[in-house]
Amino acid sequence: MITISINGKEIRLEKPMTVLEAARSAGIKIPTLCWHEQLEKYGGCRLCLVEVEKMPRLQTACTLMVADGMVIRTETGRIADVRRGILEFLLINHPLDCPYCDKAGECDLQDLVEKYGPVTGRFKEKKRKVPESLEDPVIVRNMERCIVCTRCVRMCEGVQGASAIAVIDRGGHSHIEPFSGGRFDCEYCGNCVSVCPVGAIMSKLHRHSYRPWQLVDEVETICPYCGVGCTLVVQVRDDVIKRVVPKLGTVVNNGLLCSRGRFGYEFVGSKERLTKPLIRIASKTHDASRVTHNEIFREATWEEAISFVAKKLEEIKDKYGSDSIAGIASPRCTNEDNYIFQKFMRTAIGTNNIDSTARTGFAGAQNFIENIFGQGATANIIPGLSNSDSVLVIGGDPTAINPILGLQIRACSRKGGNILTIGKVKGLRFFNPVSLKPVLYTETVLLEGIVTALRERIGLPGSNPNLEAGIKDINISDGEIEKTCGIKGNDFTMFMKILSESSTPSIVIGKELVQSNSGNYKLLLIAAINYLINGRIYLLSERANEQGLLDMGCAPDLLPGYRPLTFAEFRRKYENSWKTSIPDKVGFSIFEMMDAAKEGSLKALYVMGENPVFNLPDARSVEAAMKNIDFLVVQDIFLTETARLADVVFPALSWSEKDGTFTNMERRIQRLRKAVHREGMEDWRIISEVSKHMGVPLNYSNPEDIFNEVSKVSPLHRDMTYEDIEKGEAVYPYKGEPLRGVSEEIKFQVPSSKFQVSDKKLYLKLERPLFHSGTLSTKAPALVNIYPEAMARISPDTAKSLSLGDGDIVRVSTKIGSLELPVSVDKELDNSSVLLSNNFEGKGAFSLMEYTLDSVTKAPCIDYNEARIEKVNI
Amino acid sequence: MKTGKEFIKTIFFVELIKGMAFTLKTLLFTPPVTRRYPNKVKVPAQPGFRGLHALAKNEEGKMKCVGCGLCGAYCPSKCIYIYTSEGEDHTKVVDRYEIETPRCIYCGFCVEACPFGAITLSEHYEYSTYSRDSLYMTKDKLLENWDKYFAGEKGKRYFRDFWRPKTTDFKGYEGQAMFKGNKNEK
Repeated sequence: MITISINGKEIRLEKPMTVLEAARSAGIKIPTLCWHEQLEKYGGCRLCLVEVEKMPRLQTACTLMVADGMVIRTETGRIADVRRGILEFLLINHPLDCPYCDKAGECDLQDLVEKYGPVTGRFKEKKRKVPESLEDPVIVRNMERCIVCTRCVRMCEGVQGASAIAVIDRGGHSHIEPFSGGRFDCEYCGNCVSVCPVGAIMSKLHRHSYRPWQLVDEVETICPYCGVGCTLVVQVRDDVIKRVVPKLGTVVNNGLLCSRGRFGYEFVGSKERLTKPLIRIASKTHDASRVTHNEIFREATWEEAISFVAKKLEEIKDKYGSDSIAGIASPRCTNEDNYIFQKFMRTAIGTNNIDSTARTGFAGAQNFIENIFGQGATANIIPGLSNSDSVLVIGGDPTAINPILGLQIRACSRKGGNILTIGKVKGLRFFNPVSLKPVLYTETVLLEGIVTALRERIGLPGSNPNLEAGIKDINISDGEIEKTCGIKGNDFTMFMKILSESSTPSIVIGKELVQSNSGNYKLLLIAAINYLINGRIYLLSERANEQGLLDMGCAPDLLPGYRPLTFAEFRRKYENSWKTSIPDKVGFSIFEMMDAAKEGSLKALYVMGENPVFNLPDARSVEAAMKNIDFLVVQDIFLTETARLADVVFPALSWSEKDGTFTNMERRIQRLRKAVHREGMEDWRIISEVSKHMGVPLNYSNPEDIFNEVSKVSPLHRDMTYEDIEKGEAVYPYKGEPLRGVSEEIKFQVPSSKFQVSDKKLYLKLERPLFHSGTLSTKAPALVNIYPEAMARISPDTAKSLSLGDGDIVRVSTKIGSLELPVSVDKELDNSSVLLSNNFEGKGAFSLMEYTLDSVTKAPCIDYNEARIEKVNI
Repeated sequence: MKTGKEFIKTIFFVELIKGMAFTLKTLLFTPPVTRRYPNKVKVPAQPGFRGLHALAKNEEGKMKCVGCGLCGAYCPSKCIYIYTSEGEDHTKVVDRYEIETPRCIYCGFCVEACPFGAITLSEHYEYSTYSRDSLYMTKDKLLENWDKYFAGEKGKRYFRDFWRPKTTDFKGYEGQAMFKGNKNEK
């Protein structure tokens, strides 16, 4: 116990800390500029100077550790004099343009000068003049205002790990500049913006259009982009989102954000948003992309559109049966929306044909791993990653797919943990990763080798006989790995040493692994590795509510709360609470729906907030299938590729316009709150209206009603209320039943034949960029400014052999199609790959990719897509 | 029990007659205190009277206001609405500056708060109308008011005599910092 006295107040401390932290814990405020609770101590601004008895000079509170018996005074005449002096120095070059500066009102310097500052400056010389740097698309730098506290630099280097900015020049000329010059060209997390105490680094979005005190409507909500579920504070003025800021102390992201979360909110107010229900007037044979939507659709009233949809669905149901109708739910919609959607499909329509794009990887992989380790095996607390002593990353770049999770991996490295990667992980390349880079498409052999080596080093623990039965015959020697994968024996030994010696390892699995050939076998090998090293699994999730969607039963074989449909007992429970019968036949998965549509047996499809024509591989055949459907209803916020083919389009309310809950990848249920008012109906309300017209009333007045029903019927959410969620402790199973255990046998398929990969061929791979997520982010101008168009990324060697340079237009063609795109040379890429994102309308990688379905996970395998590149001369 | 004298006074209405006599005297022999506004008498407002708002213009005839929003922040009845945006040359542009005058309490805090002397209260007070809309002052109307009520010397005099902004003549507590005029000076 350390006892100190601050300003005459006695404080007892359990553990050593700095004087500043001690004072803050006692509620005594010491002014600071360079200190920030997320950053390393710096002691540069000298504003936190305090008087300590028996120390001759003033001490900086932020770096001085407390000692027993210390007597500290934080506000004396001497200290005030010193602070006034420091502020006078800071104001020598500060332009004092507060009336123009957007920071005024929440500026630390302004507040401090107002409290301690000098009345006038004595410095007669001219102020430093630096023109504002407006070159960057989203960040404005005004170096006149900079006080060189280096918070941004420490944030960029020490927390974000991007190391994009630094202090340039010396003395009075020092200022902050990105290494790339005027443009930032960094990860655009914008965390430098949120730590800047003055108006030196600011966001360009909605610049000069608000003052901080005018943002009276402040709403805490959840990010709509990825599965991490960061808490955002949305600040609104007159129903326009002016900015999105993070909040310190939140569980998941604790004051950090990524580019999508911070700058990707402008789609909400986009002019392209749908406003009225649309009914098709043109025939479906039209090439929908060529004509404007006025020629395809006419605007209708809500009443008309809803009764039309209800009538048509009834007709089809009567004529062809319930199973000729299917529904696609959305990982961007709330739990409540999805619950109502599956309830509508199961009760009003009477079919289990419900699925979503979670089927393209997340659902299958999660199910596979849970069958081995039990339910909840993939739901681990994200900040826990930084406490692991080693993290194995495979199948994607977590710093791009789930950036805030990626930061935890970087933090792990900083704390002394080891980063192990299989394949190149661009975002972790500066964090001393021990990388094994197998030759293209030989990961299976490498994983088998790792399992073999681990089995030799650690031995089989014997607690999971099912899994052990699956891996006991695997035997790949180091020599074989070297031969097949091209990995040197030394590298492999080092990798294995770290992996086998770590006591708290984590494994991060990306979708690339799931979406590859024999993905189920690779998952089995990963599960075996996890089993042998006793680690934790993190399954990356690309959409905000992929987890919640599955919880709510938007799957052909699952009822809400992950209850398998095939068990009559579970079905009966739901039948009793819904007071209706539930069909016992397992429905179509999303790919089976497309097959049925092609055959013509699927007559109607209800799509809620999803864009299958773009987001499913082999997009062109999906489009053909959609055209073959008699009656297509789409509910979306934009007129997407799928909506263009629809018979009826309902405009929905988007994120920040509705209340609800999201479930993130660690199964934390969090509240989404309404920040902006807009005319229209939420997804669940539209569906319940349609249902009402079909004679099956779904009577709910608000999302809380729906959630209360979920907490009654779903065993995972038992007794959970919105109040519990608001406390932030709603990580389920909440008070519910024990989760589903492991299954008796593990189904997997050992790949029979090894594909031959030729060195000379190029393979098309999917790029999962940091700045985009689905097509939603392409409606946010700031993100489009950062990453403006679809680009074919190739390695320097490939570029050289084809004599291509950045920006040259090439034709990328595969067996099923071709696209003309500009090229971008990427140093980090290997010579056999072409990377293409699937975000930009008409230029999606999925339109060029063929797939086969994995026999166990039912995920599409999109590897082995050979591609050719040729220069297009304009 | 009333005495005999009081009884007689009550019967003959003596007190009533006394009162009526006073009323008659005041009615006939005292001049009226009220003034006949607006038909016969019009009293000009004293200099410095806080009347209708105006947005000041500088010597070039351009609006002084930069849209810092301090007037709106200080306004006790929150009747000042300011909307700014980023202009073509990336400077701050005031798109809308609106005052809902029926809600204004003419306290003059906005004038005090303004660091540029951009919002002023004129001596004009006769602007009652039959429609509420015409009392809603937009930026154009406010700038027009400047030309109407502060043209020429009057505007200069107003700033000389009545404008005491914190930026040039602020006597705060000791140690208070302040904004010293335009950043481009010196």
